[in-house]
Amino acid sequence: MKYIKSYFLLFLLVLFSVACNDQNNQKITIATSANMQFAMKALTTDFTTKSGIECELVISSSGKLTAQIKEGAPYDIFVAADMKYPNEIFNSGLSTFPPKIYAHGKLVLWSVVENITPSLKALQETSIKHIALANPKTAPYGIAAVEVLEKYHLLDSLKEKLVYGESISQTNQFIISKSAEAGFTAMSVVLSDGLKNKGNWVALDGDLYTPLSQGVVLIKNKIENNVYAQQFYDFLFSDEAKEILKKFGYSVDK
Amino acid sequence: MDWGPLILTFKLAAVTTVILLLISIPLAYWLSNSKSKFKPVIETLVSMPLVLPPTVLGFYFLIAFSPRNAFGSWLNDWLGIKLVFSFGGLVIASILYSLPFMVHPIQSGFSSLPKSLKEAAYVLGKSKLATLKKILLPNIKPSILTGIVLAFAHTVGEFGVVLMIGGNIPGKTKVASIAIYDEVEALNYTAANNYSLILFSITFIILLLVYLINGGYLKRFWK
Repeated sequence: MKYIKSYFLLFLLVLFSVACNDQNNQKITIATSANMQFAMKALTTDFTTKSGIECELVISSSGKLTAQIKEGAPYDIFVAADMKYPNEIFNSGLSTFPPKIYAHGKLVLWSVVENITPSLKALQETSIKHIALANPKTAPYGIAAVEVLEKYHLLDSLKEKLVYGESISQTNQFIISKSAEAGFTAMSVVLSDGLKNKGNWVALDGDLYTPLSQGVVLIKNKIENNVYAQQFYDFLFSDEAKEILKKFGYSVDK
Repeated sequence: MDWGPLILTFKLAAVTTVILLLISIPLAYWLSNSKSKFKPVIETLVSMPLVLPPTVLGFYFLIAFSPRNAFGSWLNDWLGIKLVFSFGGLVIASILYSLPFMVHPIQSGFSSLPKSLKEAAYVLGKSKLATLKKILLPNIKPSILTGIVLAFAHTVGEFGVVLMIGGNIPGKTKVASIAIYDEVEALNYTAANNYSLILFSITFIILLLVYLINGGYLKRFWK
């Protein structure tokens, strides 16, 4: 009998603690693509301190996030790394307004191997056996990298050396593990806290590739969170947010 | 429709299965007979790929195979093998990744044989090797077939490890699972469906055949 009582109490306690977790409604879930994660962490921290609204980040590739949003994933806002995927969301009728550009990404060439100074010329040397880039089929930084190589007529001669990461994150893994001696990535990566002083990088001229416009959309799903999501959306276009984005290697004017 | 990834998938699975078979028979034989202190440790190591997430496994391979690290550079300098971003690397990774699927069935097969079978052969003057070849292996045919099929199927369905160390190079490391993933990422669901259907059909037929053979249905049918 005594045991039954304590079981019952324990059961109530568990129930209560679960119920408690649901009380905190001041929370939004933000879907963001892999190459925005460093900047987004800084942005959401800043936003939470100012507004008291908690942000939950879901980091994945744009393709996966888009598929999930189409199937009704509980995300309030989608901060993407290009325009293709947020446009897809808008065209599927899942957001009220078309995506708005909040920043432009910058492409860099990066190497963490000692005694390799990255440059387009150096890519042809024999010391560089593999060059990593994000998959041009799906990732905007991959498309930009291919455009740069084409402009310099290097694509055919370097074809044998190219290896494709499925996202910027994986491309970074190839470069950091030195499996690929050099690679193309986002400037936000080489400016992030963890990787700031790793290896050498060089920014590529913005005229060499189509601007990497990045869009954000508000997702129509849960009514009660829309106020908070709208607040974050507005914050993303504020001067403070622009400062943070600049610090992370994005350009915000254009 | 590009057939390259599908062909590469089955090539990888075939090569991996053959090498695994050659490794697994002695290993499973030793595991089923040994009284060694190290046996539990070896058994645990063999089973580890079942537990570790494939992407994690792949990440460790990427680090280990990297030409800038001790193991990778040693391979590179002494044997001229580069394991990252190459078909050879995928084979090595797949062997480790599918090892339990080949070893476990064969080991159970060996363990299920009565001891008297082996002893009778020894008493009649057969060597250990001859006993293994002429008596034990023919008696565990279904287990070996199960091991072959499971290892093959598991390698066909491999994704995380290949994603991590392959580098998605067409004709070298772009296997069907990666091709399907790419198409899904790019929102080309039709192309992804085509690949998946073909992969599904082929593997379904292979597995069905094996279960028919193992269940003895074919023998009954032919009589």
